[in-house]
Amino acid sequence: MAIVEFQGKSFDVDEDGFLLKFEEWCPEWVDFCKEGEGIKELNEEHQKVIDFLQDYYKKNGIAPMVRILSKVTGFKLKHIYELFPSGPGKGACKMAGLPKPTGCV
Amino acid sequence: MAFVSSGYNPDKPMENRISDIGPRDFNEFMPPVIKNNFGKWLYHEILEPGVLVHVAESGDEVYTVRCGTARLMSITLIREMCDIADKHCEGFLRFTTRNNVEFMVDSKDKMVALKEDLMSRKFDGGSYKFPVGGTGAGISNIVHTQGWVHCHTPATDASGTVKVIMDDLFEEFTGHNMPAPVRIAVACCLNMCGACHCSDIAVVGIHRKPPLIDHEYLDNLCEIPLAVASCPTGAVRPSKVEIDGKQFKTVAIKEERCMFCGNCYTMCPSLPLSDKEGDGIALMVGGKVSNRISMPKFSKVVVAFIPNEPPRWPTLTKTIRNIVEVYKADANKYERLGDWAERIGWERFFEKTGIEFTPHLIDDFRDPAYYTWRQSTQFKF
Ligand code: HEM
Ligand code: SF4
Ligand code: SF4
Repeated sequence: MAIVEFQGKSFDVDEDGFLLKFEEWCPEWVDFCKEGEGIKELNEEHQKVIDFLQDYYKKNGIAPMVRILSKVTGFKLKHIYELFPSGPGKGACKMAGLPKPTGCV
Repeated sequence: MAFVSSGYNPDKPMENRISDIGPRDFNEFMPPVIKNNFGKWLYHEILEPGVLVHVAESGDEVYTVRCGTARLMSITLIREMCDIADKHCEGFLRFTTRNNVEFMVDSKDKMVALKEDLMSRKFDGGSYKFPVGGTGAGISNIVHTQGWVHCHTPATDASGTVKVIMDDLFEEFTGHNMPAPVRIAVACCLNMCGACHCSDIAVVGIHRKPPLIDHEYLDNLCEIPLAVASCPTGAVRPSKVEIDGKQFKTVAIKEERCMFCGNCYTMCPSLPLSDKEGDGIALMVGGKVSNRISMPKFSKVVVAFIPNEPPRWPTLTKTIRNIVEVYKADANKYERLGDWAERIGWERFFEKTGIEFTPHLIDDFRDPAYYTWRQSTQFKF
């Protein structure tokens, strides 16, 4: 596992670039990730997705199902891909600091 | 090698991006004789093991030569297949649903030359590159999975076990000596990617020890409720532990409820369970997917555990060979292995094959287990 230094912060990450500890998340992490995720500038829609993912994870201990993410944010899956080109798992969850999706992905 | 760009621009990842184009249309790759007679076939014959002829309304014939492949293959070998197709088949070939490769020609003479060429090709170690067979009432290719080559949840290997079984049953691939086709499948864990649950003979990797729990990392790497919900027997529950004065959120596993399926590891990287001595193979038999005479069937476990014995798995191959031989000698024509076992009764299956019946084979999973017990006095001593 590697340690990433960015704007004075350091982050423990795995080989896919996911944070190893949710507590290490901070706004700098999002800035650090965005380029690798094909995002130029973050707008409030990106922020809305990230905020919801973090809220849901803190409350429930899991990432929401895609249909819940769509229903609560009001963004169709197509729009979520427009915001996060790698998709809700590899893109949005990574930037929100959630653990890496598991299962037969 | 130094970096060579394909033209993709990482600064503008969405620029010139092509997506959702799907696979190429299969019509683009049809040999002319197939294209011309599409949907107009009258009948077919199996001329000899591995060789079929289809005759169309027009009188056109297409000869198909089927060859075994290892499924896992190099581009070098694919290029060799392309060379063969260029030489004999106007550049056309196809792969079957059991990962055999089929070369097609439009006359008998061409078929004979093709077959001779195929059988003459061997690897340096001596194995046939393109053994001809896999048709009719024989044993065709083994549908299998990733094993230790690429997956992270296997309890056994796939390519290795498949090679040793096919070596042992090679003359059944190149012959038609069975009462009916025998389908063999291999899956390296209980996820059963592929066809194990519905094959005449199935090799399935199993564990025999509960997962280890990496308490210090679990909450960081796993979504705990998913690990809890992944367990079919309710053995996983959320819990807390204290290590060196620090509290960690984690899970606890009731070991006497755990039957080592490994589902929780699939969901949570902090619950690894593979184990050199513990892991091995369960053998299942009697499944089928066709509707021919009897309805499709699930395969049933008949050997609860065979140890992993890389690289040649001698116990595994011996056990399978024995089942194949007894079935071949005893079943009626057209009877699939499951049809045969059900007709003679499973107690006779165990008697004839000499396989030991152990308590592991008795279903104990939830209400439906009851239906697998015998509510009848009908049995043979
Ligand atoms: C030519 C004469 C007979 C014929 C062709 C005949 C035929 C049959 C057939 C086809 C069945 C159904 C078997 C099954 O579906 O499993 C049956 C069942 C039965 N038959 Fe007959 N039967 C004959 C005479 C008798 C007689 C004389 C008795 C009694 C005195 C008898 C008692 C029974 C009984 C008790 C059953 C039910 C067996 C069970 O519990 O499955 N049958 N018979
Ligand atoms: S059967 Fe299990 S171990 Fe094998 S490839 Fe599938 S998921 Fe992986
Ligand atoms: S291995 Fe299977 S049975 Fe055992 S705790 Fe994990 S999910 Fe439950």
